[in-house]
Amino acid sequence: MSAPLEHACAAMLRRDLTLAWRRRGDMALPVLYAVIVVVLFPFALGPDLALLQRIAGGLVLVTVLLAMLLALDGMFASDIEDGSLEQLVLAPQPLALMLGMKILAHWITTALPLIVIAPLLAGMLHLPAAAMPALLLALLLATPLLSLLGAVLVALTAGTRRSGMLLALMLLPLCVPVVIFAAGAVAAAQEGLPWFAPVAWLAAALILAVVLAPLACAAALRIALDS
Amino acid sequence: MTAPAAAAPLLEARRLGFHRQDEPVFAPLDFRLHAGELALIEGDNGSGKTTLLRLLAGLLHASEGELRWRGAPWQRDTCAHEILFLGHQLGQKHELSPRENLGFAIGLHGCRDGITPQAALDEVGLGGYEDEPVRRLSAGQKKRAALARLLLQPAVLWLLDEPYANLDRHGIALINRLLERHVAGGGAALVSSHGVVGFHGGEPQRIRMHG
Amino acid sequence: MAKWIPLWLHKLGSPPTFYRFAGAVRPWAMGLALLFGVIGLYGGLVLAPPDYQQGDAYRIIFIHVPSAWMSMFVYAVMGVSGFIALVWRMKLAEVVAMESAPIGAAFAFITLATGSLWGKPMWGTWWTWDARLTSELVLLFLYLGVIGLYHAFEDRRQGARAASFLAIIGVINVPIVHYSVVWWNTLHQGSTVNIFGHSKMPWDMLWPLLAMTLATKCYYAASLCRRARTDILALESGKDWVREIAQAEAAR
Repeated sequence: MSAPLEHACAAMLRRDLTLAWRRRGDMALPVLYAVIVVVLFPFALGPDLALLQRIAGGLVLVTVLLAMLLALDGMFASDIEDGSLEQLVLAPQPLALMLGMKILAHWITTALPLIVIAPLLAGMLHLPAAAMPALLLALLLATPLLSLLGAVLVALTAGTRRSGMLLALMLLPLCVPVVIFAAGAVAAAQEGLPWFAPVAWLAAALILAVVLAPLACAAALRIALDS
Repeated sequence: MTAPAAAAPLLEARRLGFHRQDEPVFAPLDFRLHAGELALIEGDNGSGKTTLLRLLAGLLHASEGELRWRGAPWQRDTCAHEILFLGHQLGQKHELSPRENLGFAIGLHGCRDGITPQAALDEVGLGGYEDEPVRRLSAGQKKRAALARLLLQPAVLWLLDEPYANLDRHGIALINRLLERHVAGGGAALVSSHGVVGFHGGEPQRIRMHG
Repeated sequence: MAKWIPLWLHKLGSPPTFYRFAGAVRPWAMGLALLFGVIGLYGGLVLAPPDYQQGDAYRIIFIHVPSAWMSMFVYAVMGVSGFIALVWRMKLAEVVAMESAPIGAAFAFITLATGSLWGKPMWGTWWTWDARLTSELVLLFLYLGVIGLYHAFEDRRQGARAASFLAIIGVINVPIVHYSVVWWNTLHQGSTVNIFGHSKMPWDMLWPLLAMTLATKCYYAASLCRRARTDILALESGKDWVREIAQAEAAR
């Protein structure tokens, strides 16, 4: 009698996207944050073209990561507050799959706008056009990876008092390899070297994370809510 | 006499207990709930009524004792689609309308045959408010919007935590009507409440909680 | 088949049994730690010859290397007992995992501090983005994350389970971080200095190092016993056996 799986997935995705659209002011905040950070750097370092060019790729990546961290904290917050997370846990659907849909919705509403604005940010820092495809591809692979890893950690903190700083502390060790490979690809492209290898590593990690992270997220949520 | 298999209660608790920080929240409980039965959970504030309902819903793990579902050990996966839990937090998204909230619940839990969300909203008295964001509804209307799930979801066992809170006289009558119809149709319900319940479908079972 | 493992764990895992066991082990472990520590330090600081390249500065390895090993060893212990805590819901495993975390963090911190003290004369800088030091720093952050998550929960057992889960994620993460940092170093041509080179360490330098390793292991055991005993008393404060101990202490 229970609803078919694809209906449940569609309902989950539709609800979270509708909610994000109704609160679209919140959606703009990470983008605004990223723009502010990138604008501040040239003021701090001076408008030296060569210097900005050298740090542009890494700077855009780290800024996008921090902006995502800003939005990550709220992934389950309102659902816990109004009890809809309880209903999700109790639903006769595989929790991992439902959380996967939630993470997808969260990625679409927070990371995708950042990826769209990334070429503008990179342009402001004079990243060479040749490195732009590498930057976009690296972001397309690294941001869902961060959303997936971040979701597991947010789920772990679900039963606690809100703690954004703790989340950053927990996420740092996990995102070190992601940042290294994503920035490595951009740096290699900038120097005219082949940049396929780091991107392939990112893609492999993403495939693993797509399978494992929702399962880990569901397990973490059950631990954090069981009191 | 009926066959033993048919006589197996829907839900049976044997010495069921839950510990928080190694302290028992309530004294071990024994009860049986058959299909077509209503049980009231009674007890003072802090006697563990909400904890018991969350335990039965599958949100908490029992620390001791046994829980059986249709004669077999209770497992979340086998009975999740037959249980409906309505707690203090109603699980309604404030930015969405009652209709959208119900649409999501149907997507997740499925829908009974022969009823539409519109009919359910009319029945709980929210006709005309279907497309208003839940944020703008009064506390009682929010409760009614959540109650519409009772009509739509194909569940056998209802676990209702303080369903009468925030409701006026008509709202209380509405819940009693829903309960009577559910029980008459072969469903079962566990209801926690401080207040007196004017239930007409026979004398309900009473489960007394001691902290 | 392997039923005896949970059974054995269950027996030792009963808090009163472990409390007595840890109380008996602790003085011995502490004594051995002091003994090995004195022997190792005497051997390392006095008997061992100076290094032909680094002179006396290398002697910091008798602290640095054992703590680096211990920071990883303690993390492994934390991961394994965290896994046991999650699978068998065993209270003692939660206690061991959570009380190991601060000790491991201390070892990681000592490794970083001695590493930078050593780095000043060797590399001419307090900090270098060497693969090993960077991995150690990430390890310290992992420890801090586990400790922070544990204390963020109001229910200690729930906090212990969540933090155990994080520790297990970290166990998978540590090798990934290490290899990615090594790759990053080769990419950016960092200042990787191989301290030991490929030469074999002479015996009169090696044995003090091994003695110090044993000393840190024993110290960890002693410290863990003391911390776990305190924690068990707090967790079981409502139980009869704890009341008896409290009454016996009060009567003294």
